[in-house]
Amino acid sequence: MALSNRDRARLSLGIQAAIFAAIVVVLIVIIDWTAVQRSFFNVEPVMAMFPEVITVGLWNTVRYTFFGFVFGLIGGTVLALMRIASFPVYRWLATLYIEFFRGIPAILVFIALGFGASLAFGLNLSTLQTASTALAIVGAAYIAETIRAGLQAVPKGQMEAARALGMPAWRAMLTIQIPQAFRIVLPPLTNEAILLTKDSSLIFVVGMAGSAAELTKMGRDGITMYQAGMTPLVVAGICYLLITVPLSILARRMEERSPGRSSRRRPKKKATTSPVSSGVA
Amino acid sequence: MSDESANAGPMSTAPAGVVIEGLHKSFGEVEVLKGIDMSVEPGQVVCLIGASGSGKSTLLRCVNRLEDPDAGSITVGEFDATHADVNLDAMRQHIGMVFQQFNLFPHLSVLENCTITPRRVLKHSREKAEAEALHQLDLVGLKHLAQRRPAQLSGGQQQRVAIARALTMQPNLMLFDEPTSALDPETVGEVLSIMRDLARAGMTMLVVTHEMGFAREVADRVVFLDQGLVVEEGPAEQVIGAPTQPRTQDFLRRVLNPLGK
Ligand SMILES: Nc1ncnc2c1ncn2[C@@H]1O[C@H](COP(=O)(O)OP(=O)(O)OP(=O)(O)O)[C@@H](O)[C@H]1O
Ligand SMILES: [Mg+2]
Repeated sequence: MALSNRDRARLSLGIQAAIFAAIVVVLIVIIDWTAVQRSFFNVEPVMAMFPEVITVGLWNTVRYTFFGFVFGLIGGTVLALMRIASFPVYRWLATLYIEFFRGIPAILVFIALGFGASLAFGLNLSTLQTASTALAIVGAAYIAETIRAGLQAVPKGQMEAARALGMPAWRAMLTIQIPQAFRIVLPPLTNEAILLTKDSSLIFVVGMAGSAAELTKMGRDGITMYQAGMTPLVVAGICYLLITVPLSILARRMEERSPGRSSRRRPKKKATTSPVSSGVA
Repeated sequence: MSDESANAGPMSTAPAGVVIEGLHKSFGEVEVLKGIDMSVEPGQVVCLIGASGSGKSTLLRCVNRLEDPDAGSITVGEFDATHADVNLDAMRQHIGMVFQQFNLFPHLSVLENCTITPRRVLKHSREKAEAEALHQLDLVGLKHLAQRRPAQLSGGQQQRVAIARALTMQPNLMLFDEPTSALDPETVGEVLSIMRDLARAGMTMLVVTHEMGFAREVADRVVFLDQGLVVEEGPAEQVIGAPTQPRTQDFLRRVLNPLGK
């Protein structure tokens, strides 16, 4: 007996649903739900953490990330321009920087700035300075590659057309190439902001005063403070999602509308294979 | 040419002539142009024909210095294009170029495509630049599409905008690199007729094309290029209608009769 395609699809769907239902039943039976609730979704520590987790923790995370991203964007743009410069020393230096900071764990940079800077140079950086500088140093390396790819994704003919009209190179860069590259790199830059948001948690290795605490520090301190399981970490995690999920949706929206996708240009065959024009003997 | 004339200020709007002497150009090991001598008289139309890879685009791009020649000299009007001190930006403001792929700026409207260089480089006021741009768009029949983005236009319309954009700079010379090769067959005519009008208005034009009908009707002279050398040149009727060189005959036979009947 042969099943029709439709029947087979229904059967497959039915089997998947049955397996899922079985797993849910097993989980309900074997898991101690009061324990889960006590250690992950305990109401008391949640109440105790508000409103500081927002006014201090979330606020600091956003601040550290924001300044890290802004300076990373500036540094990354400079590095990207160095990467495509005609003077080879610029290219080498930029490549060296990018490979170095993409190749080491970001936490090393936080440690170096948090402890090393004061030991080596007697610099006393605030938590904001340490965190956003570390994020900027690391972020610039990634952002540089994103921007370079964006600049190179602009078709060569754009620069040529601008130069052929008589625009100086810097003017063509500023009015033709960079605006087009910017549209191309907005979605990946948004993803970069998400990564930096999460990396801002690394400042936790350096330690900080309570007023400078960001989300991870607050979550961790909450565990010891309230002795009520992991609920503070869950709260911190949800706060991160409040930042990263909207950014992620934004990036996806922009990707769907990105200008490079709807290019309809298609080069045609050369005339040697195309219809002969009229009026020829 | 003397140093001052190499950096001469704006040319008049009179058509400029082009003189090319002993032009050589290599890409790495490959010598693409092997000593080109040719000229375009002011107000004349010269069509460059030749097989794919013969160096037509490279020759054209040497004239406005999108490529740097290895040897030889090129003069465009009062500009010595190959002089070490030539002000390339100033020179290019007088040479319009139209590309096979149009190369309109996709992030700008049709109008902005035509005003950005006059405004930013020539420092024209917005009113003046827009009036001139709308005038040029009107001449190519696209004034009503001034607010559109290039992506919303057909290929033929985009190429007409590209021509208008070049003309807003008041060039003394127009270079065309296979302007109709990327177009759907039914839109080729609208672009060719604008080029014909431009030629009749007295513009100096150097046109790379495979449109033999256009070359025959519009060109004052036709230059046949093969493997980096000028093989044959003369009046259009003669080069296309009665070529004397075997290589020209061969090329035309292939272009005019692709199936080899
Ligand atoms: N930037 C470049 N780098 C290396 N080689 C190049 C470059 N530009 C052109 N060439 C080579 O030079 C030769 C001549 O190219 P060119 O584009 O001038 O030919 P063409 O006559 O315009 O051909 P087509 O009809 O295909 O446009 C070709 O072999 C091409 O591969
Ligand atoms: Mg070509």
